[in-house]
Amino acid sequence: MATPVLKARGLNRQFGHVRALDNTDFEVYPGEVTALIGDNGAGKSTLVKALSGNLSVDSGAIEFEGKPVVLANPAEASALGMETVHQDLALAPHLNPVQNVYLGREIMRSGLAGAFGFMDDAEMRRASRAAFDDLGATVRSLSNQVGSMSGGQKQAIAIARAVHWAKKLVFLDEPTAALGVRQTKNVLDMIRRVSDTGIAVVFISHSMPHVMEVADRIQVLRLGHRAATLDAKATSMEELVGLMTGANAGDAAA
Amino acid sequence: MKWSRTLTITAIGALGALGFAGCSSGGDGEGDTAGSYEFAFVQGVAGDEFYISMQCGMESKAKELGVTVNTQGAEKFDPSLQKPLVDSVVASSPDALLIAATDQTAMQAPIKAANDAGVEVVLVDTSIEDPSFAVSAIASDNIGGGEAAFKAIAEAHPDGGKVLVVSVDPGITTTDQRAEGFEAAVAENDKFESLGVQYSHNQPDEAARIVTASLQKDKDIVGIFAANLFAAEGTATGVKQAGAEDLTIVGFDAGPAQVEQLKAGTVQALVAQEPASIGEQAVEQAYNALEGEETTTEIQTGFTIITQDNIDGDAADAVYQSSC
Amino acid sequence: MSNSTKAPGMGPETTAIAGIDAKETRFTKLARTQWLQILIVLIAIIVLFSIAAPESFPHWGNVRLIIQNASILAILAVGMTFVIVTAGIDLSIGSVLVFSGVVAAMVMRAMGGDGWGTAIVGIIAAILSGIAWGLFNGLIITKLKVPPLIVTLGSMGIALGLAQILTGGVDIREVPAVLTNSIGYGNVFGTVPVISVIALAVVVVGAIILHRTRFGLHTFAIGSNEESARRVGVKVDRRLIAVYTLTGGLTGLAGVLSLSQFSTTAIAGQTETNLNVITAVVIGGTSLFGGIGTIIGSIVGLFIPAVLQNGFVIMGVQPFWQQVAVGLVLIIAVYVDQVRRAQASRGGDAGVWRHLLARRRG
Repeated sequence: MATPVLKARGLNRQFGHVRALDNTDFEVYPGEVTALIGDNGAGKSTLVKALSGNLSVDSGAIEFEGKPVVLANPAEASALGMETVHQDLALAPHLNPVQNVYLGREIMRSGLAGAFGFMDDAEMRRASRAAFDDLGATVRSLSNQVGSMSGGQKQAIAIARAVHWAKKLVFLDEPTAALGVRQTKNVLDMIRRVSDTGIAVVFISHSMPHVMEVADRIQVLRLGHRAATLDAKATSMEELVGLMTGANAGDAAA
Repeated sequence: MKWSRTLTITAIGALGALGFAGCSSGGDGEGDTAGSYEFAFVQGVAGDEFYISMQCGMESKAKELGVTVNTQGAEKFDPSLQKPLVDSVVASSPDALLIAATDQTAMQAPIKAANDAGVEVVLVDTSIEDPSFAVSAIASDNIGGGEAAFKAIAEAHPDGGKVLVVSVDPGITTTDQRAEGFEAAVAENDKFESLGVQYSHNQPDEAARIVTASLQKDKDIVGIFAANLFAAEGTATGVKQAGAEDLTIVGFDAGPAQVEQLKAGTVQALVAQEPASIGEQAVEQAYNALEGEETTTEIQTGFTIITQDNIDGDAADAVYQSSC
Repeated sequence: MSNSTKAPGMGPETTAIAGIDAKETRFTKLARTQWLQILIVLIAIIVLFSIAAPESFPHWGNVRLIIQNASILAILAVGMTFVIVTAGIDLSIGSVLVFSGVVAAMVMRAMGGDGWGTAIVGIIAAILSGIAWGLFNGLIITKLKVPPLIVTLGSMGIALGLAQILTGGVDIREVPAVLTNSIGYGNVFGTVPVISVIALAVVVVGAIILHRTRFGLHTFAIGSNEESARRVGVKVDRRLIAVYTLTGGLTGLAGVLSLSQFSTTAIAGQTETNLNVITAVVIGGTSLFGGIGTIIGSIVGLFIPAVLQNGFVIMGVQPFWQQVAVGLVLIIAVYVDQVRRAQASRGGDAGVWRHLLARRRG
């Protein structure tokens, strides 16, 4: 097996009396789409936050491409080539799609103009358009405010932003949660395209059909612990639900 | 496009309404019958009965002489608010500007500029650093008023004690002179000790705060002199809040609220100026200047001491008006 | 270009994505901006007053004074636009202006002299005082996480109090003549006030920074969604401190300019400055909730109360009507902003007025 892009072993995290992560394992391989599923409170968001540098863990080891790392903040995760799209999308509604894609990482003009803070708008527009097109993202206007766009467009922009900057891995937290049928289709297509470029995708979802449609592998969390990791083609909805609720004990029978 | 049509209609409609309101309330500043002068009166602050009484005096004299008076005043006694008003007034090319300056230095240049533009200037109540170009400067004998205020306190407390002055802001000629007159009279009397002058920035609540704090500090204050209308209002409130007794408060100015306080006994005496007289004389001086007749450079008007004894009798007329 | 992978049998969009199908030209986009609509209102007001008072109102002598009196406020409005765009607010500008004027006056009095040497030191002292207060505001807001309204309410009181302590409550009335003559009442080309030229320079530079640089973009981002900006790596705290410090510096400059106009520290003055400036900025289309605003809108918004007052005074209207008028314009401006925001969040980009006046479809 190839080296996992990201591997976690024995992660533990407690919030007061609540054990959010209980000796959790995780891994994802390059170019693979892996879904992270589990009931409410299973620890999915906590795990993604820990793996993307938004949360510290009490104990456990994380390896990136085989080397141990400590992810103290999101910037460190970004530096390694991992980007995250949170549920709220983290878009600035008054800015246009180009400004959102490049927020915090603007391309400056060269020389004195750049030193004074002038940006290379033309280049950013071009690169954004290319990024949207590559992913098949339906973004009608590059100069309208993002806040006035539909949920589907916003999701597309947020994913395109993450993919544009990520070299290795993208986390998506509930990417299809608020979307209509057509828009969901677009997002799932985008996920496939992203993995085709060699970037790994980890996405959290509550929707079994979507998961089974697009994931290569499915990892099930229950009570902060990984109950099972399965090949998406080889499993069924009943099995997954059973693992999620504990009816089916799975690999992790303690 | 629909929006542009509706927007324009709405805007014009709204402004038309405002303009209508303006025409109906302000009088036609442009109606020029041959020979009738237009004066502009810029108050120290709008809504102050002292300046309203002055306006009433001006309007009655103006009617006599066939003159129109346009009265303006800012929301606060503040040169940064008064200067734009003066500049706007000058643009309407009045024949004369009658003004109570809110700061003797800050208003020097704007008022001089008005004069340079051909407007005759009469200074009422407060003055400016260099009033030489003005037709006349008319104010109460503020020093005498301050002295009289002290006399009222001294009569009420023959054994002496501590006294305090609550003024407005340093730099206002009138209140500075009142405080000066008061302090000079105190200095001449061994039995009394002055606790100095405090500034209430023309805000009654600030005056109340100053008074309650001072009474906390010195329980044996026998007299407080409040140097203008808002200061007097606040001082009486402050004394009431502190629950102090046997205290003589003398206020300057006799607005309706202060007369209430006098009748209720919270304030013992009021030094009333004669704002209507100031207003009348101001109009007269300006008129004389425009007609090429003799004018008087400095006019001091008098004051009346109002107490509970004479409020319903001789002094009834000395009370300021809230509307003309 | 857009949807290349369509599943067979999938027809056109089953959900409405955006409200407008029509092509949007730059002109229609421009026509819907708030600042342009406010400018039209201003022009309408000017036209009305010019008709009502043709001998007094529409003359350069009057107009130049309106501009001169608006100049100091314009400088303050530039800073306030930045602040309000970040969804913050600064109530302390009046007090900081007074404080900076006091510091400058004290320094210049100590140095003595009437010439440019003293004046320049005074100007620098004023700007530095303003920067100090801006830094104070910015640090407390970002590091101690106190809301801007509270912090600047506090610094408003402290700055004024300190100004009174420094002077013992007595205004300083000695200002170098060169300040009063060249800046306060000086003119270029014989009749354009110097103070307005200075204000214009500040406005232009402010507009370039806000609308064309990364600093300005981040200012909008912070106001639009501070949390998101933080997550993508924008140094939010540093930007906010910079914004408040910038405002402070501009306020300090305004302080020394006020000195040059009034020749006194006028500690009792500037009582309504903070609210007048905020009113101007909001009328001009900057949203109090952050994320939207223009410098030019703020300047137009500044001129509306100024022109209203000027026109009403010339026409002899009672002072209280002026306040009613300005209050009405302010409320209408905020209402329009509300409608615009509600529109945007519902996903439509149709013009505000079209929305306000459109008939309901069946």
